[in-house]
Amino acid sequence: MPPKVNLQKCDGCRAESEALCVQICPGDLMALDENNGKAYCRSARDCWDCMSCVKACPNGAIETRLPYQLGYYPAKLIPLVGSNKISWTVVDIHGKVERFTFKNRND
Amino acid sequence: MPPKIGVYLCHCYGEIGKILDLEKLSQQAGKWRGVAASIHYPGLCSADGLEIIAEDVRQGRVDRVVVGACSPAVHRDTFLRLARQVGLNEHFLERCNLREQCTRAHRDQPALAMAKARNLLKMAVGRLSPAESFEPVSSSTSRSVLVVGGGIAGLTAAENLARAGVNVTLVEKSPFLGGKVARLHRYYPRFCSPRCGLEVLMARLLATGRVTVHTLTEVTGVRGTAGNFTVELLKQPRYVKDACTGCGACLEVCPVEVAPSAALPPGRQRAIEGPGLFPYPLNYAVNRVFCRGKSCSRCVEVCPAGAIDLDQEEDRLSIGVDAIILAAGWEPYDAGRINNYGYGRLPGVITSMDLEVLARPDGPTGGQLIRSHDKKPVRRVAFIQCAGSRDKQHLAYCSGVCCAATLKQIDYVRAVAPGAGIFVFYMDIRTPGNLEELYRRAREEHGAVFIRGNPYAVEWDPVAEELVVTADDTLSGSRIAVRAELVVLATGMVPCAVPAFERLEKDTTGFITGHLPCSPMEVRRAGIYVAGCAQEPMDVSTSVKSALAAAAECLATIQNQSVVVPPVVERHKCDRCGRCVEECPYGACSFDTDGYPAVNPPACRGCGICQGGCPLRCIYLPGFSSREMAGLIEAVDTGSMDEQPCVLAFLCANDAYPALDLAGTRGNSYGANILTVRVPCAGAVNAGWINDALLSGIDGVLVVGCRTTECHYGRGTSLAESRVNNLRETLQRMLVEPERVQVLTAGIEDGQSLVAAIKRFVKQLQELGPNPFKE
Repeated sequence: MPPKVNLQKCDGCRAESEALCVQICPGDLMALDENNGKAYCRSARDCWDCMSCVKACPNGAIETRLPYQLGYYPAKLIPLVGSNKISWTVVDIHGKVERFTFKNRND
Repeated sequence: MPPKIGVYLCHCYGEIGKILDLEKLSQQAGKWRGVAASIHYPGLCSADGLEIIAEDVRQGRVDRVVVGACSPAVHRDTFLRLARQVGLNEHFLERCNLREQCTRAHRDQPALAMAKARNLLKMAVGRLSPAESFEPVSSSTSRSVLVVGGGIAGLTAAENLARAGVNVTLVEKSPFLGGKVARLHRYYPRFCSPRCGLEVLMARLLATGRVTVHTLTEVTGVRGTAGNFTVELLKQPRYVKDACTGCGACLEVCPVEVAPSAALPPGRQRAIEGPGLFPYPLNYAVNRVFCRGKSCSRCVEVCPAGAIDLDQEEDRLSIGVDAIILAAGWEPYDAGRINNYGYGRLPGVITSMDLEVLARPDGPTGGQLIRSHDKKPVRRVAFIQCAGSRDKQHLAYCSGVCCAATLKQIDYVRAVAPGAGIFVFYMDIRTPGNLEELYRRAREEHGAVFIRGNPYAVEWDPVAEELVVTADDTLSGSRIAVRAELVVLATGMVPCAVPAFERLEKDTTGFITGHLPCSPMEVRRAGIYVAGCAQEPMDVSTSVKSALAAAAECLATIQNQSVVVPPVVERHKCDRCGRCVEECPYGACSFDTDGYPAVNPPACRGCGICQGGCPLRCIYLPGFSSREMAGLIEAVDTGSMDEQPCVLAFLCANDAYPALDLAGTRGNSYGANILTVRVPCAGAVNAGWINDALLSGIDGVLVVGCRTTECHYGRGTSLAESRVNNLRETLQRMLVEPERVQVLTAGIEDGQSLVAAIKRFVKQLQELGPNPFKE
């Protein structure tokens, strides 16, 4: 399932050159809408759910809906990125929450 | 090479030492990673104490220093001077606030104070370990300033800067210098002729040899920042070459009469203008709005010097300057818009600026007050104060000078018409300071009648051929009609619009002003200063004062003594999104030729708003890199709080940090679980730091800034709020309580209410329970 962009929060990274999600998407699927300057996924079927865009978005404007094979709504997978840590919040279809925090290197 | 950190703890002659066990703390600190020396001493700020640190640095035992003592706001230069003396980079000196925000605030809970002190010290060490050194940046500049406006403010600023050795370009949009002041008859309080002061000023200005004057020139574009402005100028043709001798032969033959204003008769003014009584520049100028052009050409024929050239064309030029002084001045409010006063419709209704022209010996009537339609002398003059001022329909504000100007003009009227009746309609007479003397003189010596009431109409009585001013006298409660031959409208001041500077921040009245009261002269674009009536309505002497102030502030900037170390850009991480360029309140950040953001040191004020907004944390002030902040946050021992939620508070160094210091000093205890980080502005807090804090198990994060209207950097607090709100929404989706992150505001005296707000926050956190990220 493709990333969903919250148009209220997305500012198109000020439409300066390429937005962060546009830069990071390994499939080159994210683009800025010429009309409103907001990001969108231009080929939903090709998205691998790698969630790079979700992690990169400075405004937290992108959400990935999990594919149905993994879990129906309200199942969610949300990252929170720190300087040298990342945490994944996993919500399953029953609303059970689990969190996993990992060390990584972002600097 | 691993860092060698020295931890120096100060007993503050017992104040810290009697609550904290510094011996134990010092022993513990000595075992931390990276700590090479750990010492406690009765008074570090004493000469002996400083020498201990200095000796360790000199011997190479330590290369980074943590001073655990009083608040960084106290003894600031004591330790900075020490760092400079021993050649320690300023950013390798970390102050740790063990007094105001630890022992003073928590004197009743020594055990918790101890835990807090340990945490604060650990945070300081954690931050200092990955710190890098920064050399102060300096760039050489050629020192040149553009002054926009050749009125009294612009001339004063230009003259003072030129005398200080700065090259000045002075730009004036009209053909002659002197501005509004050159048009006045006299100015108060001395009643001298303004031309005298202008002459002296002009002579001194020319004597410097450093001022280039461009008349008939407007600024069409401004690019760049402090130390590096590029200004586009458009120079209109004068049609008179420098060969002009000022003989005035052209004036004699010019057939086009020009009236000085809508309400005044044409005098000697023609489509070719002379410089009047204040002759700079001496060259005449052709006003092409009125000139009939080459079909007439009588002036061209008669000019003995052959100086008139009606084929001249406009000229565009581009100059580079380090700073700009905006002294564009004012225009009188358009009296024609005040319908019921009949300006431009009724003969004898003029504005106070018209009266200045009329009173001048070179005015259309030679300084006499005569009726324009029948040339009889004026016997009764009525002044209407606040014509269009303090009125929501027109100008909502008081221009502050019209009262004194009218009182001055009563003097003019008395001088030429000793027997004339003088009536003043007013709402309030505002004559602060010694100007009260003018008011007294007008009433007692000149016998002017003051009527408190705003006239609702000025009408023409065709039978008596007089004007009738009707008003309600609010003191007697009766309706009054005053017959007069001359009605003077004291109109207010409106700032001159300069399109090239339209984007500068204005106050509600449309004037451009800096941060009041802290830096009134520098507008919120570093390197642009405002002087004279462009800033707010003011009289001549205040204009001169403001021009001197602007020149002084401008000099401090262009002398290139930068007081802050600007942020660094880590290019390998930067993706050139341009947020820093967009959000910098001073326009100090711009894309350089490689396309990466670069900070212009003289323009930077060190607010850190760029680092707060950077999604990749690749632009940061020294001491705030992601490594340093991660080191600081990871050092927090979240388990040491005795069941209390652990709170990390980012405090704005301007207001919030000293406010909390003050609260501690006054003994307002707020729980030892609040760990503070001093940031230059709430807008400098990066959302990534908050993520880090939450991921490290810190239960709540506070960002405390100045009140929104008081932020020294303009939008710092509101930016912090919008960033935090964004984060809170994400947290909500992750089923983490968004209340864990809050933005508070506090003024510098709000210690007590800040403590109360912090207590509420802690209570809320207790109800929420521990941070869900805590393992």
